[in-house]
Amino acid sequence: MAVKGVNPFEMAQAQFDKVAALLELDAATRELLRFPMREFTFAVPVRMDDGQVRIFRGFRVHHNDARGPAKGGIRFHPQETLDTVRALAMWMTWKCAVVDIPLGGGKGGVICDPHHLSQREQERICRGWVRQMAKNVGPVVDVPAPDVMTTGQHMLWMLDEYEAIHGGHYPGFITGKPVSLGGSQGRTEATGYGVVFTIREALRQLGLKPENTRASVQGFGNVAQYAIRLYRQIGGAVVCVSSWDNNDQVAYSFRKTSGIDPDELLSITDRFGGIDKAKARDLGYEVLPGDAWLEQPVEILIPAAMENQIRGDNAGTIQSTVKLIAEGANGPTTPEADTIIQEKGIFQIPDFLANAGGVTCSYFEQVQSNMNLFWEKDEVLGKLDVTMTAAFQAVADLARKRKLSMRDAAYVISISRVAQACHDRGWV
Amino acid sequence: MREVAPYARRFFDPAQRLSRIGGGELGGKAQGLRQASEVLAEHGAELRALGFEVDVPSLVILGTDFFDAFLERNGLLEFLAEEPSDVEIAQAFHRAALPAEMVGDLRALSDEVHVPLAVRSSSLLEDALGQPFAGVYGTKMVPANQSSADVRFRSLVDAVKFVWASTFSSGARAYLAATPHRGERERMAVIVQEVVGRRHGERFYPDISGVARSYNFYPLAGARPEEGVVSLASGLGKTIVDGGLCWSFAPTRPRAVPPFGSVGDLLRNTQTRLWAVNVGTPPAYDPMAEAEYLLEIDLAAAELDGTLRYAASTFDPGSERLWPGLGRAGPRVLDFAPLLVHGELPLVGFLTALLRRCEAALGAPIEVEFALALPPGGAPRCGFLQVRPLLLSRETVEVGDADLQSPAAVVASRTALGNGRRELADVVYVEPEAFEGRLTPEIALEIERLNRDLVAAGRPYLLIGFGRWGSSEPWLGIPVRWDQIAGARAIVEATLPQMSPEPSQGSHFFHNLSSFAVLYLSVPPEARPGIDWAWLARQPEVARTAHVRHVRCASPLSIEVDGRTRRGRVRRAEA
Repeated sequence: MAVKGVNPFEMAQAQFDKVAALLELDAATRELLRFPMREFTFAVPVRMDDGQVRIFRGFRVHHNDARGPAKGGIRFHPQETLDTVRALAMWMTWKCAVVDIPLGGGKGGVICDPHHLSQREQERICRGWVRQMAKNVGPVVDVPAPDVMTTGQHMLWMLDEYEAIHGGHYPGFITGKPVSLGGSQGRTEATGYGVVFTIREALRQLGLKPENTRASVQGFGNVAQYAIRLYRQIGGAVVCVSSWDNNDQVAYSFRKTSGIDPDELLSITDRFGGIDKAKARDLGYEVLPGDAWLEQPVEILIPAAMENQIRGDNAGTIQSTVKLIAEGANGPTTPEADTIIQEKGIFQIPDFLANAGGVTCSYFEQVQSNMNLFWEKDEVLGKLDVTMTAAFQAVADLARKRKLSMRDAAYVISISRVAQACHDRGWV
Repeated sequence: MREVAPYARRFFDPAQRLSRIGGGELGGKAQGLRQASEVLAEHGAELRALGFEVDVPSLVILGTDFFDAFLERNGLLEFLAEEPSDVEIAQAFHRAALPAEMVGDLRALSDEVHVPLAVRSSSLLEDALGQPFAGVYGTKMVPANQSSADVRFRSLVDAVKFVWASTFSSGARAYLAATPHRGERERMAVIVQEVVGRRHGERFYPDISGVARSYNFYPLAGARPEEGVVSLASGLGKTIVDGGLCWSFAPTRPRAVPPFGSVGDLLRNTQTRLWAVNVGTPPAYDPMAEAEYLLEIDLAAAELDGTLRYAASTFDPGSERLWPGLGRAGPRVLDFAPLLVHGELPLVGFLTALLRRCEAALGAPIEVEFALALPPGGAPRCGFLQVRPLLLSRETVEVGDADLQSPAAVVASRTALGNGRRELADVVYVEPEAFEGRLTPEIALEIERLNRDLVAAGRPYLLIGFGRWGSSEPWLGIPVRWDQIAGARAIVEATLPQMSPEPSQGSHFFHNLSSFAVLYLSVPPEARPGIDWAWLARQPEVARTAHVRHVRCASPLSIEVDGRTRRGRVRRAEA
């Protein structure tokens, strides 16, 4: 989500404008890419468990599908806005383009709070959403996926409704399915592993060996956990991790300078993923304030929780030991913080490159579903690594050659690829 | 030595032909390849001037850390503790997932490489012992020529898992039990290396493979041990590794013909089949089979491929002589005469220089492996595949002529191999009355069972049988694999009348003899005193099978071989 008071869509457009100028894009291309190709806003009437009917607002935005079917998640969130969805759809276009997978960008959502909805009510919202969109989504049009507060279960309800409407099996309609029902091996690990594949390449470029580095991680969700695992497997040590405490409604950082063990921490988390402070202390962890993860004397920072976590007001606390920031989360760094980080000479792996492992594996899931042929985990992760590594190298090469920041270089590659596709199709 | 650089996803980068994926140890074979690279870095130009484009074919080494991670993360150590069968092990390894850190590199390798690859073990204990575990662990060739990168990746991954699984095969475990490393856990690095050769339709293979040693434990008649030995075979080196028929010579005497009894003997005891990688129609999917992508072809097929140009002579029945080359009709004999007699390519000089340079670099007698691709009209290429030091026994043992005639001699031989003395009480022997050529495969299995019990009991033994041990041709001797007799510390070969008295040279079976310093005594049928069968028959029996007897002598036997004179005997304690 966006910085308070800032319209995320305007922010996304500003980022685009900066790179469009750098690329000297013509006016028509700029006009095309500054806005979504298509937007759908609709009502989803749902009969609630108490017998009353409530009307939910649903959205789906196709930012651009010049390179392939739109791809993006469906969010269930009480503060959802059309502009948020537009911004996220645009970022999806760039994310798919930077890893060079043949997909466009989309995003969708429903204004609702699943915390206050029963499973049956959520199922009805899912089915209602599909009934509204059934003609404008599908394996060759738009392929949704889970996102904020939606899961594999939601995807299966949506798939079932879609298949009922179209009278056939279309597992390639949606991704994020459980492995037992057409999901992909490796999908759970993909985003976190993808972050580490880019970290590995960045370290190589910086002349650092993983075994000589330490990392501090914000967040202890899926992305963070798998990133921590693989980073440890390539030789690194994670010394600090922060996680949200649902009881206290604040985050805490957990530090162990000898290196944290994700399995040990997982054994003391509650059902919301929060780490038990008392048990952590017993296991030898120091419990520190939520922001402390950012202030550790480590070589690598991995923000893998929320957006806007590294800001102008706290970026100054980053230690001089830090050589690399890999953005596992979407938009964890504000533009002001970006400036400070660049002044400190820290190498950044921008979010839509670092965390593109998720969408890349979603693409693999879609390919497998469309073929109805499923790959083994080795095969999925092997392709994922090659895709992520190639993307990283292309961005890093361009950044070096044109003296751009990694973020700008990634945007330049993405936007030029999408613009080229629009030109090649004769749209502009 | 220089550090091995990480794989930069450019397999054929001439600046970095040897790289690694993952941490940990590199294992024995990989160390040999590093040494080969070092020798070429220093002497490559000089060697190339001798007429061969010599290089270490591109390779990556998967470090042992991945082997450990694979076992640990897939719970395979617990599984192995239950002592599963070889097939169960292979299946469990096949199902298990590779460590996520390595799959990207393997995928990248599959994406860029379209030539056949050899996937080999590089064991840590092999390195610790300073000797190769030849033929103990699996090696798999993958054609890597399929148009789909997915298929290439799959076959590469299957091959790596196959090699890892072979670490725990019953054969490997039996072999290890006979080493000082009994009970230690083996750790395995894996080498993925370009296969040197040429494509001929549906098959790919080197024109010639070879093994050369600067010191020969088992010298050919007339040669001194220091003169060394070279063994050559057509096709993949598997022929030599498996102890198949190949051609051996001392580099100082390339024209000397091994002492075959007759032309018929020569025809029977030279190579008639060769191994190639199948790069044609994909075979039935069988990831558990070592030879999944291998083809065995005959000489006629090889001749059509044009690969016998330097390997064959032709037998002329009229004159009863061999003519080097393929210029006339008649049976082909792989004696490599165009190279060794006519010197059509300067191979002997090149190998002599290579051996000399390697010996100087390693400061010890050495063994090298190589493969030659000899395109017509193109520059001959030599893929330098391995260099390792040879272990030599320096023990001084004197066995005089009188010692052979002594009544205490249970076995007396004038063509013994090896050097040294062993004391042991257990003897496993094939009963002369029960032996028949057609029974040798059965006898091999009987010996395997007795060997297993003796190894388990920690009792070394003397093995006595008929014909060439480890022969790939059951009519010529008992076709045992090394692991089936791994507990034998001394072996007696009662030569069959139709056989050459010279044991097969250059086979890995014989290499194992020397690596494990096993004494080998060859006794022709007419030898007197030869073998005292009657005395053996009187010894107390521990176990017996249909054709084999295991006896234990009241006092230990002493087995002595004098490496300088090649005299050897088995002496019983004086009554």
